[in-house]
Amino acid sequence: MKLISRPLRPCDWTILPQCPSRPFSRPASFARHPSPSAHKWSHPPSSTTIADDEVANLASQPLHALSLADLVKHGRPPLCTEALFSSANFTLSLLPIRLAHRIQALRNLPFIVVSNPNISKIYNNYLHSLSTLLPYNTKTITTLEDEIRFTAVLADLVETHSHTIPTLARGFLECRKYINPIEVTRFLDEHLRARIGTRLIAEQHIALHISSQPHQDPKSTPHPVDVDNSSYIGVIDTALQPAAIINSCGNFVSEICELKYGVRPTWIIDGEPATTFAFVPVHLEYIITELLKNAFRATVESGRSHEPVVITIAAEPESAADIEKALPRAEPTDNPPIKPFEESAPGVTIRIRDRGGGISPEVLPNIWSYSFTTFSEDDLPGQAPGSGSMDALNAISGAGGEGSSIAGLGYGLPLGRAYAEYFGGGIAVQSLYGWGCDVYLRLKGLGRPKG
Amino acid sequence: MLQSCSQNGAKTLRLTMGARCRPIQLYYCVQARQVHNTPPWRPATTLDEWVGKEARPISLRQLMVFGRSLTEARLISSANYVRTELPTRLAHRIRDMQTLPYVVVTNPHISQVYELYYKAFESLRKVREIKTLEDNEKFCKKISQTLQEHLTVIPKLSMGVIECWDLMKPEDMDKFMNTILRSRISRRVIAEQHLALTETFNSPWHFPDSPNASNTGTEFVGEVFLKCNAGEVVNRCYNTILSLSSATYGATTPLPALKLSGHLDATFPYILSHLEYIIGELLRNSIQAVVERQKSSPRGWEETPPAIEVTVCEAPQHVIIRVSDQGGGIPHDTLQYLWSFSKGPRSSQRLENLTQVPKMAATLQELRVSSDIPTSLHPPSEPHEKSEHSGAGHDSSLSSLSSRPPNLRLGMGLPLSRVYAEYWAGSLELHSLEGYGVDAFLQISKLGNKNEQLTMRASMDAV
Repeated sequence: MKLISRPLRPCDWTILPQCPSRPFSRPASFARHPSPSAHKWSHPPSSTTIADDEVANLASQPLHALSLADLVKHGRPPLCTEALFSSANFTLSLLPIRLAHRIQALRNLPFIVVSNPNISKIYNNYLHSLSTLLPYNTKTITTLEDEIRFTAVLADLVETHSHTIPTLARGFLECRKYINPIEVTRFLDEHLRARIGTRLIAEQHIALHISSQPHQDPKSTPHPVDVDNSSYIGVIDTALQPAAIINSCGNFVSEICELKYGVRPTWIIDGEPATTFAFVPVHLEYIITELLKNAFRATVESGRSHEPVVITIAAEPESAADIEKALPRAEPTDNPPIKPFEESAPGVTIRIRDRGGGISPEVLPNIWSYSFTTFSEDDLPGQAPGSGSMDALNAISGAGGEGSSIAGLGYGLPLGRAYAEYFGGGIAVQSLYGWGCDVYLRLKGLGRPKG
Repeated sequence: MLQSCSQNGAKTLRLTMGARCRPIQLYYCVQARQVHNTPPWRPATTLDEWVGKEARPISLRQLMVFGRSLTEARLISSANYVRTELPTRLAHRIRDMQTLPYVVVTNPHISQVYELYYKAFESLRKVREIKTLEDNEKFCKKISQTLQEHLTVIPKLSMGVIECWDLMKPEDMDKFMNTILRSRISRRVIAEQHLALTETFNSPWHFPDSPNASNTGTEFVGEVFLKCNAGEVVNRCYNTILSLSSATYGATTPLPALKLSGHLDATFPYILSHLEYIIGELLRNSIQAVVERQKSSPRGWEETPPAIEVTVCEAPQHVIIRVSDQGGGIPHDTLQYLWSFSKGPRSSQRLENLTQVPKMAATLQELRVSSDIPTSLHPPSEPHEKSEHSGAGHDSSLSSLSSRPPNLRLGMGLPLSRVYAEYWAGSLELHSLEGYGVDAFLQISKLGNKNEQLTMRASMDAV
């Protein structure tokens, strides 16, 4: 279902032009005639006031294809004041449009879905964030106070939306009777991918802000942070070593295993552990944590915890062009991902091989869906802490600010894949039922900025 | 007078000198490509009739059960099944070819295949209902001969496809190749199975009337090997390819060892030559990759290159064989053409290599007696001696491919292996770790109760 961004007409709810034939049945309680008050608001009551046409105006503007080079073109950290303003204004030019698109997408969900308190909360979060940015829309940032205030707004945005995913998940779970799982998957796929980009833009500016010259204490000696993070450009580490991330995530996950199960799975890293490449560390941490959770849980539950999980790191050889031709470019959408610094930057493939018995053929087709459909009301996390169906590993989730309440909702794989695919990589799962599982994580490098 | 519209002008020819003749203008058109074999026109009605029939797919289990207690009645019934199935399936494929663009079917290689198919169709459709064992004998001779003649179809098709790469969309071409090869496997399977059953029936130790008529003792039912043991097949294939590789690369080149692990006792019914072909191709690719990686970027593997790790995994309904190598992975530019029959950048090289393979098929007899290469890959203790099949070609087309030197890259090992794997409802997947190696996963259905997959999953049009 292509979510068309256009203003909703105050019409009766039986007509949804973008989906002429909906396979599921509507609850009979839906009014067939628009109530008189339907004219006044075409969306659930919100706590902010944004004119409909303001949103429509912003949402009608296309999302420009953005590249990481755009995000760092203002200079390498530490940025001087001018560059800082430039970065702030650039960010300002992008965010309201992106938020408006998301609001539009949410508005096009069925009324009953967006009325759900969880979904409604998220919807209002977006409205609120947009309302805090709109005042800046008309002016440019030229003073440090403005810039500081703007960055505070960004930080607030990042914080407010840090629990979007579990809240949305809970909401869709509660609404599963009223909406088709396929539509939910489609909505979530698009929404989460857009979210990755939006957060990246915001967090990039915040990181550049923190490390920029005006905000460093001028009296301090060369800041140790600068020396350590010399490979960092905002949230991007140009010399990220996957082996280090694997070890730290592995320690984290296996410690939980030890606390809860009394067994500590082990792992081996082979291939080329010294490999480094350019990537966003928090993304990689999230993906690796999720994949290791799966591998360790399977290993422990199958009783083979003495067998180490074998993780192989393969570095793509540096090679010249032609790679761009070989890459299947994603079909053009109006929500393009952020392009890396270099299209042909060498990437990394990580293979995680476990002996956990594999995934059964019945479950295998479902591993990529946002598995809200397999849970009953009783299994909702947070409702019955310590209930039998929730195991310890479900209670943790990866870094990246997703929060622990994402627990057990089966979002790890699809979300991990969204992160991997965002820059042109991917995850493939090969199950050897009765033996174990091989997971292939392909990551495209982001390259290095020119100059 | 008809106007000439040819650039080269018209030539007037007097075809006959009779009084009532009129000079007829012949239009000469010198085309850029010479048309070798303009196919003769044949009335379409006969073909239409057979195209209208549906193929009746079978399963491995049916093949096995059918052949177990062999009586004369059953043999005749099998013969009649083959008698109608072969022309039906041939007809469908001929019709497929007829709907390809003209310029493709007139390619010399494809045209030859088309002629072979039509000839076989014409010959087989005229066979009358088989009622006696003598009828069966005659029929078997005819099938053997046809199988023998069609040995060169695969290389010819491949060459034709590569030559015509720019005349059709690659997806359409691949779809066509997959369908035609799948159907070819199916016809050969039922034909070879029937030939094998006939031979069993005729062999001196077969007593159809005895109470032990069911061949509970033998491990073969016709072509189907009931107890394919993955570990054993892998070992045998590996040894074969090892000797081929030594011969090709020289005795001084170190070759990767084989490391087998997993459920090595797993057995399942399968057609042995198919399994050997697929595993052979995978091992061949792995060994080549490792050797070439060492050559191009030496890693200090002079003594021992990293072994090829093969894991066999048995589940209630499947057996999965994983082949892992450290051959450096698949380069980016060839990755998208991996499963395609029309290769991208390497086309011309593949084409050249393919011209060498038809010769090999023709010298199969020579290969069979050669002592260097163990061509008979079946256990020698088996009373069912395969080599006595005089040119029945039950596995000869595959053995010629399987016994080619490892560095003769034809570019069809993977797509063809996948056709074989998927034929019995299995699958073949590859995952590449670029810069490190490749993992191949062959999944086989253990129960043998899945029907032949005569159509691809995506296309559900009638076969």
